[in-house]
Amino acid sequence: MTIQATNVTSAAQPDAPKGSPMQLLAQWTKGIKTPEINRLDILIDAADMLACVKVLTDAHWGYLIAITALDTLGKPATYAQDVRWKALLDAGATQAASSPIEVLYFFANGPQIVTLRMLLAREAATISSLCGIIPSANWYERELIEMFGITVVNTPDPTHLFLPDNWPDNVYPLRKDFKIEQISSTKIEDIHE
Amino acid sequence: MENEKREKFIVPIGPQHPALKEPGHFEFTVDGETVTGATVRLGYVHRGIEKATEDRNWTQNLYLLERICGICSHSHAMAYSLGVEKLAGVTVPPRAQAIRQVVAEMERIHSHLLWLGVAAHEAGFDTLFMFSWRDRETIMDILEGLTGNRVNYSVNVLGGVKVDIDAERADSIRKGLDLLEERTRHYLKVVTTDETFLRRTRGVGFTTTEQAEALGLVGPTARAANVARDVRVDVPYVAYAEFPVTMTLDTGGDLEARFVVRIKELFESYRVIRLILDKLPAGDLTMRMPRRIKEGETVSRIEAPRGELFYFIKSGGGEKPERIKVRTPSINNFALVTGTAVGHQLADMPMILAGMDPCFSCNDR
Amino acid sequence: MTITLGEKWNEALEQVKLWARINSPWAIHFNSGSCNGCDIEILATVTPRYDLERFGVKLQGSPRHADILICTGPVTLQARDRLKRVYEQMPDPKFVVAVGSCAISGGAFQGCYGVVGHIDQVIPVDAYIPGCPPRPEAIIDGVVKLLGSLKKGPEEQRSGGEEVK
Ligand code: SF4
Repeated sequence: MTIQATNVTSAAQPDAPKGSPMQLLAQWTKGIKTPEINRLDILIDAADMLACVKVLTDAHWGYLIAITALDTLGKPATYAQDVRWKALLDAGATQAASSPIEVLYFFANGPQIVTLRMLLAREAATISSLCGIIPSANWYERELIEMFGITVVNTPDPTHLFLPDNWPDNVYPLRKDFKIEQISSTKIEDIHE
Repeated sequence: MENEKREKFIVPIGPQHPALKEPGHFEFTVDGETVTGATVRLGYVHRGIEKATEDRNWTQNLYLLERICGICSHSHAMAYSLGVEKLAGVTVPPRAQAIRQVVAEMERIHSHLLWLGVAAHEAGFDTLFMFSWRDRETIMDILEGLTGNRVNYSVNVLGGVKVDIDAERADSIRKGLDLLEERTRHYLKVVTTDETFLRRTRGVGFTTTEQAEALGLVGPTARAANVARDVRVDVPYVAYAEFPVTMTLDTGGDLEARFVVRIKELFESYRVIRLILDKLPAGDLTMRMPRRIKEGETVSRIEAPRGELFYFIKSGGGEKPERIKVRTPSINNFALVTGTAVGHQLADMPMILAGMDPCFSCNDR
Repeated sequence: MTITLGEKWNEALEQVKLWARINSPWAIHFNSGSCNGCDIEILATVTPRYDLERFGVKLQGSPRHADILICTGPVTLQARDRLKRVYEQMPDPKFVVAVGSCAISGGAFQGCYGVVGHIDQVIPVDAYIPGCPPRPEAIIDGVVKLLGSLKKGPEEQRSGGEEVK
């Protein structure tokens, strides 16, 4: 089943060159953007992420540069038309109130950059771990966990990488609704006072 | 029976440790003297810079991001400027791009010499430490003369550079490079022939090309294992297309190869700086930049002294960025320590760590 | 067996201690969140061009042997307790030098969520060396000035052993 995306510049092309990421990932692609000449953003569902990465690595297409996320809070216009967002909404009505978190996987092959982009529901942001395919992904996954509050299923090491040991639970600094007051308990009093 | 009674010990190193300039915490599980496991805890210098960029404007961020790391400050500022300029659709004049490349290569020289000293110090070879740091002062003088500061030189502005190289300056740079080149030849000889030193480096921390790729290593650490990745060659930025460098590769995969690759890279840097000085394009140094940057997202990749530096910049069309993601090379290279520690002697750990040229402040941000 | 020294002896001993301290202070360097620009400049001070050791200052690893704590960088959440611990482990009298704008005021990192403040919000500081980063000459000058201030009588001299919360 393919859902036709509306906010894309071009849909998945069946005649894309063989072995190109566009062709390799065609069956999971929900939309494609080419923001720059050497970049390809492929919109997929979070559930298909592992399959997509597997295909890319099996084809020896490039290497993983980084994984990161974007909090889309307060930007309803950017994803209102997105099929993946609609699918998320269908999955659970509770998410309608808030905005999703977008996760980005960057792969590079020479000058070419492919970004796998997927949306996660804010309240139940969960994604599978990539470590089974690319062990070094653990560094980035630990960052996703502590900075964005994303649950990464099956990641070998979910402990804090950057944040201090006394960091309060459920406070995620790179989310847009993070306020510095949320961590006031960890601050110090001035010794001069 | 003996074996059963043997207990496993955990040896913590850091966060405050003589072998580390910067705070990081390592735990090595050892059986006797042999390491059987390793974990890393970072975050002692985590300041929260990525978040802080969201409440500073585009220009302020240039100076903040430069201070992610004092050793490769120019790389950070350059990666950021290149990204923002791409978003704004501004084309930077060729002279500015060439000067950026000159400073980037100078930074590589100072960083590699710094590393050579620190790594030699870890091996107990303090003479080499003192020598390489003494010679490093030559490049520091050049940088200071050119930019006005020894560290955090602030060469970049959005849309160009603020320093210019005139004929007189070029001459003094050439003189400094001649001296450095001669000394570097000596270092190459030392690290490849000194018996005692080789015992600390040859075969230590070995990775095959496949392992290096699987661990996600970048930069000279990966190139020492014959992984052909160098952003300067793969995706030439600034003026690398006009003044190309060749990639330095080594098939050794061990610590010795990492020394050799870094030292050989120095020769490339000397060569390319001279080339640019001879053919520095004429023209302006800056272009006007808008205060608000057009909405959009971009990525910017450059080759910092330690490897590929990756910036993801998202603008919402305002005076401040919406998100800036910085993926520094060190975070990938830490996998070298956790990945190759097992089976080595505990005494080799500082050397393996030094071999990847860790930069904790880059990592933690 | 305890030796009890007379008034004169005690005074003389203090003099000797002070002389020894001024002529050969040992320093420890602690990075509590710096961009390591300051750290490499501190390291540069011990290398041949600047050679801090000609003042008898030795950079070494253990806080228990140190007279001077050289701090760099703003204080991060994770490093704050370590900084205090290192300070407390040092024997009295101890002196703290804050190197760099970050150590003095938080510098460029003011307002970052990971930064709790500057050094003198956590431990008392005796000398401040501004700059981003300060040049090695400035660092040497700061340390030498600190040593000079020790020569003053015990009344003017700060003990450095203030209690830490
Ligand atoms: S004062 Fe400057 S050089 Fe020193 S740690 Fe702060 S930002 Fe880095």
